[in-house]
Amino acid sequence: MGNFVLGKYLPYDSIIHKMDPRAKILAMLLVLISIFIPAGYLGYAILAVVIVTTVLTAKLSLKFVWKSMKPMLFMLCFLLVVNIFAVKTGDVLIAFGNFEIYSDAVFNTIYIAVRLMLMIMVTTCLTATTKPLDLTLGIEDLLKPFKKVGVPAHEIAMMISIALRFIPTLIEETERIMKAQASRGVDLQEGKLKEKIMAILSLIVPLFVSAFQRAEDLANAMEARGYAPGQRRTRYKQLRFHFRDYMLLVCSAGLVAAVAVLALVL
Amino acid sequence: MSIEFNKVSYIYSEKTPFEYAALHDIDLLIKEKKMTAIIGATGSGKSTLVQHLNALLLPSGGKLKVLDFEIVAKEKATNLKALRSHVGLVFQFPEYQLFEETIMKDLCFGPKNFGASDEEAQKKAIHALKLVGLDESYLEKSPLDLSGGQKRRVAIAGILAMEPDILVLDEPTAGLDPQGAVQMMSLFKELNQKYAKTVLVVTHDMEHVLNYCDEVVVMKKGTIYAHTTVKEFFKDTSYLDELHILPPAIVRVRQMLNERGFHLPSDCYDMKQLCSAIAKEVKHHG
Ligand SMILES: Nc1ncnc2c1ncn2[C@@H]1O[C@H](COP(=O)(O)OP(=O)(O)OP(=O)(O)O)[C@@H](O)[C@H]1O
Ligand SMILES: [Mg+2]
Repeated sequence: MGNFVLGKYLPYDSIIHKMDPRAKILAMLLVLISIFIPAGYLGYAILAVVIVTTVLTAKLSLKFVWKSMKPMLFMLCFLLVVNIFAVKTGDVLIAFGNFEIYSDAVFNTIYIAVRLMLMIMVTTCLTATTKPLDLTLGIEDLLKPFKKVGVPAHEIAMMISIALRFIPTLIEETERIMKAQASRGVDLQEGKLKEKIMAILSLIVPLFVSAFQRAEDLANAMEARGYAPGQRRTRYKQLRFHFRDYMLLVCSAGLVAAVAVLALVL
Repeated sequence: MSIEFNKVSYIYSEKTPFEYAALHDIDLLIKEKKMTAIIGATGSGKSTLVQHLNALLLPSGGKLKVLDFEIVAKEKATNLKALRSHVGLVFQFPEYQLFEETIMKDLCFGPKNFGASDEEAQKKAIHALKLVGLDESYLEKSPLDLSGGQKRRVAIAGILAMEPDILVLDEPTAGLDPQGAVQMMSLFKELNQKYAKTVLVVTHDMEHVLNYCDEVVVMKKGTIYAHTTVKEFFKDTSYLDELHILPPAIVRVRQMLNERGFHLPSDCYDMKQLCSAIAKEVKHHG
């Protein structure tokens, strides 16, 4: 559990850490768009270079980024298997009797894998360099224009920030209950299916009980302090755009444009 | 057959930016069949230390021996389940580990995991429930419907039902009413004396240390700061001041009287002894 790094904030000191969360969120969206533009090998090479540079500028190690991608490996393997059975175009790569693996199946998977990896790298750049609280402030601000059409910006931000706040708590809680049950002889690795189900049950039930308990306590504590969702409220921390934030947006927009042009030319 | 720590160190989240060394080169020998208190300021590493005893945490450096089991850092540990059946660990706030529909089932959970048959497990469960002072009418209730203190008892009974040789308790009385706390501590003492179990208690309550324990281990910033018998420990109050530990009431009374001219012996630790010592001295003067 301690090794679970996807979405974890890393408190380093880099220019990317200092940027305005709103700029970072918008830049991330722009880069995600450019990842979805099919611009061939050259396009993806450019994107990969830009994104890896960003990762290094943020003082994140490539090992950390690799770790956050690990949970996706399983999905990619699954995808590869599906593709092998479903895609029957391109050249035959390998043939076992009358079962053939086509080149497009492999290429399709690699294509998706590359895009997925780039996407995870970009989102990691955002979440690892932005405190969860700043992230929600940014989301709230960006959603504000949509308030007029009935999007409850503040409530959404509050829900996200509470959810983010409780992820580490729940992980800690899970760890603790796992240890407590391990002391009672639960073995999550070995054992028969029935024992495994029992082991998972012994983890899930206490976890839910305490999560609900926590939710109720938190709701009561918020109400006791006069929290009302619709109220206008001021903020301690004011977000401000600096020159570097404008530069980030200009650069990301430039990247989208460049990739789009490349896609049209090809 | 005792517990032996040999240069044990432990680092949380090793090799990440969150790395934190919680234990440094711990050398510690805990005697068999004694009741040992582990004290120290919050964050000094008490919980980290005790989780090594049933291999929930494996040392980052050094080695430790518990009963016949040896755990060496960086070597693959085997037979952890067998070790855990011999060392019962009760966590801080153990009531969160209850999960079955009935108390009976929850108490049987541990013994069954360690291979007891249904009948055996039920027998152990009933016995354990009696030990913690609850009667059989509770067996069919849901553990989630109990009060906090009752839940705590059931959770402790869940560990006792495994009949471990070594019982480790991490702040077992935190949040209990004073009377409940005394009952709990008496129970552990009874298990120690009547059933010859080795008991380790992490506690912040010096009265409990004085009244129930034989030995005391003081932790400070991830190291063992002191390890003596309880009697020795409360003899020298200047040492306690240094550790910012408020001595038990009886030690304070003795200390205050001595400061005001009495000459009470430093080894009287119960009310009766103290009173007769005071009476003797008053008579002597009068
Ligand atoms: N899961 C963890 N990850 C990182 N650091 C931890 C973890 N658990 C404990 N620590 C750190 O290790 C140190 C020792 O913690 P430990 O829980 O052993 O203290 P303790 O002596 O039991 O304190 P208390 O009396 O408050 O229970 C603390 O400084 C704590 O911040
Ligand atoms: Mg503790």
